[in-house]
Amino acid sequence: MLRFWGLFLLFFGVLWAQAPKDPYIGSQACRGCHLVQTQDFFRNAHTKADRGCEGCHGPGRAHVNSGGKKEAIIAFSTLTSQKSLDNCLQCHSKDMSRANIRRSSHTQSEVVCVNCHSIHKSATPKHLLAHQQKDLCYSCHTDVKAQFSMPFKHRVNEGTVQCSDCHNPHGAPASNWRMGQRPRMQQHAQSNEQSCVQCHADKRGPFLFEHAALRVDGCNSCHAPHGSANPRLLNRPVIFTLCLECHNGAAGFGRTGEGIPTQPGSHNMADPRYQNCTICHVKIHGSNADAKFLR
Amino acid sequence: MRPLLLLCALIFTAGLSAQPVVAPTPQRAGDAKGEDLAGYNIVNSFESGYRFRAVDGNLGKFRSDVNFGNGIRLLGSHLTVHSKKPGTGKFFDEIVLSTQGLGNDPYQFSSLRVSKAKLYRYDGTWRLMDYFNPALTIANGQHLINTTRQLQDHDIVLLPQNRFRFLLGYSRNQQDGPAFSTLQFPDGRGDEFTYLLNVRRTRNEYRLGTEFEVLKTKFHVLHGWEYFRDDTRAPLFSPGAGANPNDTNTLRQFRRDEPNHGQAPYWRVGLHNEAFKSFTVDARFTNTTGQRNFVFDELALGTGRFSSAQNRQVFVGGNARRPVTTGNVTLSWFPLERLTITNHTALYNTRMEGEGTYGEVNNAVAGLQILHFQYLGIRTFANLTDANFKLNRWLGLFSGYHFSERRIGSSQFEDIEAPARLDRAEQTNRLHSGLLGVRLQPVKQLRFSVDGELGRADRPFYTISEKDYHTVAARAQWKTKRWSLLSKFQTNYNLNSTSLFVHSARTRLASIDGTWSPRSFVVLEAGYGHTHIETVTGLAYFSLGELVENDRSFYRSRLRQTRLGAQINVAKRADIYLGYHRIQDAARLGVALMDQAFPLTYETPLARFSLQLHKKMRWNLGWQYYNYKEKLLTLQDYNAHTGYSSLSWSF
Repeated sequence: MLRFWGLFLLFFGVLWAQAPKDPYIGSQACRGCHLVQTQDFFRNAHTKADRGCEGCHGPGRAHVNSGGKKEAIIAFSTLTSQKSLDNCLQCHSKDMSRANIRRSSHTQSEVVCVNCHSIHKSATPKHLLAHQQKDLCYSCHTDVKAQFSMPFKHRVNEGTVQCSDCHNPHGAPASNWRMGQRPRMQQHAQSNEQSCVQCHADKRGPFLFEHAALRVDGCNSCHAPHGSANPRLLNRPVIFTLCLECHNGAAGFGRTGEGIPTQPGSHNMADPRYQNCTICHVKIHGSNADAKFLR
Repeated sequence: MRPLLLLCALIFTAGLSAQPVVAPTPQRAGDAKGEDLAGYNIVNSFESGYRFRAVDGNLGKFRSDVNFGNGIRLLGSHLTVHSKKPGTGKFFDEIVLSTQGLGNDPYQFSSLRVSKAKLYRYDGTWRLMDYFNPALTIANGQHLINTTRQLQDHDIVLLPQNRFRFLLGYSRNQQDGPAFSTLQFPDGRGDEFTYLLNVRRTRNEYRLGTEFEVLKTKFHVLHGWEYFRDDTRAPLFSPGAGANPNDTNTLRQFRRDEPNHGQAPYWRVGLHNEAFKSFTVDARFTNTTGQRNFVFDELALGTGRFSSAQNRQVFVGGNARRPVTTGNVTLSWFPLERLTITNHTALYNTRMEGEGTYGEVNNAVAGLQILHFQYLGIRTFANLTDANFKLNRWLGLFSGYHFSERRIGSSQFEDIEAPARLDRAEQTNRLHSGLLGVRLQPVKQLRFSVDGELGRADRPFYTISEKDYHTVAARAQWKTKRWSLLSKFQTNYNLNSTSLFVHSARTRLASIDGTWSPRSFVVLEAGYGHTHIETVTGLAYFSLGELVENDRSFYRSRLRQTRLGAQINVAKRADIYLGYHRIQDAARLGVALMDQAFPLTYETPLARFSLQLHKKMRWNLGWQYYNYKEKLLTLQDYNAHTGYSSLSWSF
C-alpha cells in the first residue's frame, strides 16, 4: 500500500513540476525593482485595474525570471504607436468620446495615448496628463499658441477655458456645421452643433430670421476663436470688409446662385457711419423681429 | 565667464506658455508624498496673497485683455485625499480638489473629483469669468459689455467599474450684467442711439443615461433636457442725442423686452463592438428637438427729420423649432498588424421651422403682419476613408479619401408686406479631398512628418468658403533628455473663383521651439514663430451713390512671435523664473479703405521668485509687465505693471 501511495505522489509530483506556471506574478514582485513607480501608485486611477501592474504591462513572471529583461514584458517605451494604442484601448475603448480615436488626426500622426498621458509621472491627478493641458497642446500646436497671445482671446492661458472644452483630442465625428471633412477634432455640443453654442447658447437659435452663415459654414466663417486683434474675435480687424467679402453679389454663390445680396445704395461706404455694420444690424446671428437683423 | 554666460542666458531666454500669467506659482508647498491620516494619504497646498496693478493708458483695453486687479486672493489650492489601500475608504477613496483665483480674480476656476471604487465617481467644475469689452474699434464703445459668466458641470457615474453603469449630469451656464447696444430711430435711415441692456441669460441641462455591455457590444444611452432662458431687457430710459451730430432725429424714450425661452431635449445612443480581433464597429446616433418661444415688445418715442413727433411700438410673438438628427458609423479594420483602415460615414439632417406675428403701431397707425418662418433645411452626407500603414519601425504612410455632399433647401418670403412672395431655392455642394502623409523616425530621438491635402468643391455656398484648396504641413522633432527641438512649417491655400470673381486666401506659418536643460536645476527655453495671412476678395459696394463693382479687399497679417524663458532652482530652496513674450503684427497699415491690416505689438516680460521658508511654507513674489501698442487706434494703447506677493503653505 505504501508503495502505491509513493508511486501515486511521485507521478502527480512530476506532473505538477512540469505543469505550466501561472504567467502572472502579482504587483508585489514589481516593488522590488520599480519602487519609484509603485510606492505612490495608490493615488493612480489604474490602481483599480484587476491585475495591478500586469493589467497594463502583461504577465510579469517571465520578466522576473529573466532578471528584468525588457523583451519579456510589455514596456511601453519599446512599443510601436499602434501597439501602444491597442494596449490602452483594451479597457478604454468603451467610452463614447473615443469612438473615433483610430481615425483621429493624432493617431494618424502617431501621437497616441502615452504621448500626452503619463501614467506614472502625471502632472494632473485627473486624466493623468503629462503636463497641464494647455502646455501639453501648445508643445505641438505652436501656431495656436501664437493665436492665444493675441489681445482678444478665450481665457485658456488664464486657466478658465481648456482646449478640451471645444476639441476632442481623441477624435470627433465628421463635423456637421461645414462640409463634413473639416474641422476634424472639434467637440460636438450636446445638440450635435458646433461647440461654440455650448457656452454661447444665445447664438444658437433657432431664429425666425437666421443668418445662414452660422448653419452653413459655422462660426469660423466670421470668427477666429483662438485669438484676434478684433474685440469680437472676428477674422478681420474691422467689420465692413468681413461682411462685404460675402455680400458682394458674385454669381454662383448663395441660396439661389445669384450671389449673396449686396448692401443697398443708401449705404455709402465712404461715410464712416456705414463702416461698422453691426451698429445697425445688431442681431447679426439671428433675429425674431427683423429680416435684416436690425432688432 | 560662466556666470556671465548664465546671466545672459537668463536675460535672453524664457517660457513656453503663450502670454503666460505670472500667478499662481507652479511650485507647491509641503511634502509631495503627503501625510497619512486615518487610512488616507493627504497632499495639500494653498497659495494666498495680494495682487496689485498699475495701469498707464487705456484702462478699458487693459481690462478687456488682462483684467487682473488689486486685492487679496486665494491664488490657488490643491488637495488630494487617497485611501492608502484602494477600495477601503468608508465613504470615498479619492478626493481631488483644485482651485484658482478664488476671492476676486476675474478668472476663477475650481474642479472637484470624489470617488469610491466600484460605487460612484463624481466630477464637477465651476468657472467664473468677469468679462469687460468696450469694443472701441468696431462700435466706438456703443457695444460695451460688462458681464459675468458662470459655468458649472456636474457628472456622477454610479457603479463605474460595473458592466451596467448609470450616468447623471447637470450643467449650468449663466451670463449676467450690463451692456450697451444701439438702435436706429425712427426707421432704417434714422440716427443710431445707444441704449442700456440688462443681460440675463441662463442655460440649464440635465442628463440621465446608462452604459452596459451585451454580447460583447458596449452600449451608451443618454437622454438630456436642455432649457434656455434669455430675459435680457432694455429698461425704460431717455437716450438723448444720437451718434451723428448732423442728424436731426431724436429719441426721447425707449424700452424693449424680448424674452426668449426654449428647450432642447435630446437622445444620444452609441455602441462599440470589438467581437472580432481584426474589426471594430463604433456607431453613434443623436436626435435633438429644439424649440424656442419668443415675444418682442419695443416702444420708442421721439422726433423725425423735420421735428415731427414719432412714436412706434413693435410687438412680435411666435415660436421656432429646429430638429436635428445625426448618425455616424466608424468601421476600423486591421487586415495586417501594421495596417489600419477606417471608414467613417456620417449623416446629418436639420430643418428650421416655426411661425410668428409682427405687429407695429407707427404714429397711431396700426398694422399686423403674419411672419412666415424662413425655412432652412440642411442635409449632409460624408464618407471618409483613411489608411495608416507602418511599413517598418522607421517608416509609416498615411492616406485618405474624403467625400461629402451637402444639400441646402430654403424658402423665404421676399417681403412681409402683402402680397408676400415665397422664394424657394435648393443648392447642392460636393467636396472631394485626398490626403497623403509620410512619417519617418530614422533614430528614436528624431521624427519627421509631412502631410498634404488636396480638396475640390463644386458649389460652395459663400465666396470665402473652401473650394479649390490644398494644405502642406511638415514637422521635425528632436528629443533627448536634455534637448528638445521642434520645427514646423505649414501652408494653406484656398482659391474660390467664378468667371468674374475671385477669392484667394493663403496662410503660411513656420516655427521653431527649443528647450535645453544643461543641468538638473536649469531649464532654458526659446521659440520663434511667424504666421503670414494674405487674402484677396472681390467686392461690390456703394460709395458716394455709385456702385463700385471691381474693387478688391486685401487683408494682410504678419504675426511674429518670440518666446524666451529661463527656469533655475537654487540649492533646492529657491526657484527663479524669467520670461519674455512678444507678439507683433508687422503688416504695413493699409493705404486704401479696402486695404486691411492691423499692426500691433504686445509684449509681456515677467519674473517670478519662490523661496522655501520652511518644509511646509514658501514665499512667492512675481512681476509682469504688459505693453500694448497698435497703429490703427492709438488711444487703445496701454502699459501696465501687475504683480503679487503670496505665501504657499501646507498643513
